Parts: sequence; structure tokens; C-alpha cells
Amino acid sequence: MKRVVPGLMLLCAAACGVALAHSAPNSLVKLHFLAHTVRAEVLVPESELAFATAAEPTREPFAEYLQRHLSAETPQGAAWKREVQSVASATYLGHAYLSAQVEFTPPPGASVREFVLVDDAVTHEVRNHVVLVLATDTATPEVLGALQYPARRLSVQR
Amino acid sequence: MYRSARVAIAVLWLASAQAAISADALCTKPPTGNGEVRAVIASIQALKKSLTAEQRAALERPFVRESAIRWSNLPVGIVPRAGLRLGDLDVKQEDAARRVAAAALSACGLEMLDEIRIADNFLKNVDARKIGWDGGNYYVSVLGTPSEKSPWMLQIGGHHIAYNLTFNGGKEGATPMFFGSEPIHFNLGDTDYEPLATQSGAMSKLAQALAKHPEAKLSGTFTDVVKGVVVVFAEGQMPTGGTDTGFPMSYPEGTTDRGILYGALAPEEQALVRAALESYASLPGAAITKSLVATYESPEALAGTYIGYSGEPDLSARGSYVRIDGPRIWMELVVQPAVADNKQLHYHALWRDKQSDYGGEIGAK
Repeated sequence: MKRVVPGLMLLCAAACGVALAHSAPNSLVKLHFLAHTVRAEVLVPESELAFATAAEPTREPFAEYLQRHLSAETPQGAAWKREVQSVASATYLGHAYLSAQVEFTPPPGASVREFVLVDDAVTHEVRNHVVLVLATDTATPEVLGALQYPARRLSVQR
Repeated sequence: MYRSARVAIAVLWLASAQAAISADALCTKPPTGNGEVRAVIASIQALKKSLTAEQRAALERPFVRESAIRWSNLPVGIVPRAGLRLGDLDVKQEDAARRVAAAALSACGLEMLDEIRIADNFLKNVDARKIGWDGGNYYVSVLGTPSEKSPWMLQIGGHHIAYNLTFNGGKEGATPMFFGSEPIHFNLGDTDYEPLATQSGAMSKLAQALAKHPEAKLSGTFTDVVKGVVVVFAEGQMPTGGTDTGFPMSYPEGTTDRGILYGALAPEEQALVRAALESYASLPGAAITKSLVATYESPEALAGTYIGYSGEPDLSARGSYVRIDGPRIWMELVVQPAVADNKQLHYHALWRDKQSDYGGEIGAK
């Protein structure tokens, strides 16, 4: 399913004339904390993703790639349910991105506000690539942490 | 092969003959200053006298984390800088500002600053986008109070260079230092320029020697330096960050995927490692880097130093990468596609010290 991200389109209209002069854009995971789930909006630059997927044994759709490289688990290691709900394309400051909406649900009895995000999308191959993890339940998005090879696990407490 | 030309600096700053204080240890060009704190302070005091109150306020900033980490490898149109903008100075002020740089840097470091600024002027003629390409968009800042005893910083930088020099810190204060060049070489006003010729040449010779050693090849792909700045972006907003918000950095540990150990190289290959690290360390004045180089080249440090590469050893293609990774030293050089003209290539280089970035005076957020 394709979905355009309105905010990105608006920003592009305002700023694409000033293309971001940086040839190695990073990824972003924005976490929205809901009552029973955590909804993640994942933005991955296509230029860096191309290097990462070229190193993979098989080509696969972005949603399947994400399923292999993005997950969540309790601090004790129990897996959360993960569902990639939609995938879209977007242009942001002159760079092409793939965007995905991913919903994470903790196992019964586990807190929805404490978990380990496991993410090595792109970073499994691109050594300088950084995945910034933000919480968006505040007026200004708050950086929770960053993942860069070889780190692929970020403890989240909210 | 392009030869890095002596710079017709009149375009940017009027040339000024700074009296030699002592010979630079690593830079073989005729000396300017050597980073002695007393001379740097004197030059700053002279600069201040030439400035208006408003300009002095721009020059002087607090020595705190937020100020110190405000450097980048991005043009000022993307990551605005703070400090005294060199492009706003009159002739007398330009001369005074140049004397500050000359006192703090070696002749090699000063020439690199000049040529990187000229590269930005070259880009201004190639790419009309309002990104901030401009040799005038380089800044000088003094963080804290210049003193012969207490810690303070001198920052000189803009799009493709960031000198962060800390004086009287608990540790040596040469880093973090970023420098880059787009294009790699160019001609302007009948002069050929290659700002990073010495450093890229040294790293390329090293990588070509490493290519004989399969264990020196690093896994993965490199599209930029690994421990550089990170842009924070969020939908509906202009990007923020692009500065050293990730400081302090974590570094590779263990023995896996770090390249080949210095001790496994032949003597002539080991000499190439030392030449490469000295090409970076030659940029600040020798008083700032002398003990660092001695530390990096001590037998104990070299025994724990790894050297790795990726891509083309002659640095002829995007993704080519070379790294020196020791107990303290972290030096990288990567080849990227150019931004203004994507048929060209573009260097980014970074020197960090795992213990003494910002002189050891700046902590985590």
C-alpha cells in the first residue's frame, strides 16, 4: 500500500530548493507511544538503502527487509508483535526516502513503555549510517538515542 | 597529477607575514606560528582591538558544551555557524583575524584553511543553490577567556573545515578536526588547487600498501566518515543538529573488523602509517600536537593501532575509505560524490582523539 506523508510533502515544497547538501543521509525512527502499542514511523534514505540491499543475498520488498532488520523485545528478551502497516515514498530536502508505519505490541503483561528496539536496517552494511530514534509524544521530538554499526539495540524507557 | 599551489590569498585575506616563532615539527613549509598559547592570546587581543563591540560579542562565546560542539561538515545554509564571520571584516580586521589563524596553525594548516575557503568560492560559481557556498562564510570564535593557564578554545571553521583547538585543557587540545574538499582539485584564476593533496596522498599511499594484506580490508560500505556530525531531522521542520551532538563517541573494540595491526606491517609500510597520521597532525601548530604525535607513535600505542581500508586504495572512486584506529588516535578519510557537481568526487576527513577531544574539557550532555 502506498501512502504519501503530508508533512514531508509540505516541507519539501518549502525547502527542496535548498537541497540538503549531504550525500549520506541518515535514518529516522519516530516512536508514538499509545495505550497498548507503540507506533513507529520509519524513514530510510533510498541512497543508503541501496548499498545495504545490494549486500543482501536476495532482493525483497522494503516491508520484508524491515521485518528482518527491525524488531522490539522486552528487557527480558520476549519478542513484541510487529506489523508493517504501510510503506510510502517521500522526498525530503532533495533526498528520496522510503517511509513505513510499523506497529509494535508487547506480549501480555509487559509494559508498553519499556522495551529494547532492535534495528540494523542499513547499518548492517553502511558503517557511517546512523539511525536516530525519536519520541514524538512531546511538543518537540526528543532524541532517545542513535544506533550505528555495530550497535543494533537501544533500550527505550518512557 | 595536480600540484597544490601556493595561494593567492589576496582574494580572501590579505597576506600577512607572521614572524616565525619556531620551526614546525611536521609541516615542512616556512613556519608561521606554532600554536604557542602566549602568541595566540596576543593575536586575539590584537584582533579584538580592531573590532566593534558587536563584532567582539560575536567573537566571544562561552566555553560550554553547546558552543564547543557547534561545528559541522555542512554548508552554513544548512547548519548556521556562530562566531565572527570572516566575510564581514574590513581589510585591517581581516589581517588581524589572519594573524590569529597564523599563530594557532602551522603553515600547512593555514594554507589548507585558505584553499578550502577558495574551494567554497569556486562552488559558488558552479552551484547557484542558496546553500551557503562562500569563502566568506567561515568564522572565528573564542570560547571562554584566553589565558595561559585556564582552559579555553579557539574555533576556526565553516563548511569544509573545523579547527577546534583547546588550550590549557586537562588533555591535549587538537581535536576534533574535520576537513574536506569539494571539488578535490580545481582551477581558479589560473591556479590549480588541491587542498587535501598532502593528506589524501598520504592516506592513498597507505591504502595501496594495505591492499597487499587481505586482513586490512574493512567490511561494509562507507558513504561518509564514521564518527562525524549527525543531522537530526523531523517532519515539518528544517533539520537541526548537524553538529557534534553525538560526542562523546563510542569506538570499535576488540580485534574484529578493525583492519591490520601496525606490528604486522613491514617497516616501509609502518612508515606510511606514521606519514599519514603526521599529515593530519601537521595542521595545528606544533605546540598543540607535539605530545599527541609522540603519544600516537609510542611503541605501546602503535602496538595497539589498527589500519584499515575499503574501496579503491588509490581513492579514485566513491566509497573509498582509509582509517587509522589506535588506543587514542582516530583518523579517517572517505571519498564521496560531490554535491555541487555529482560527476566529481569529494573528500571528507576527520581526526578525533578518543581521550582528548576538546582538551578533555567537554562532557556528555
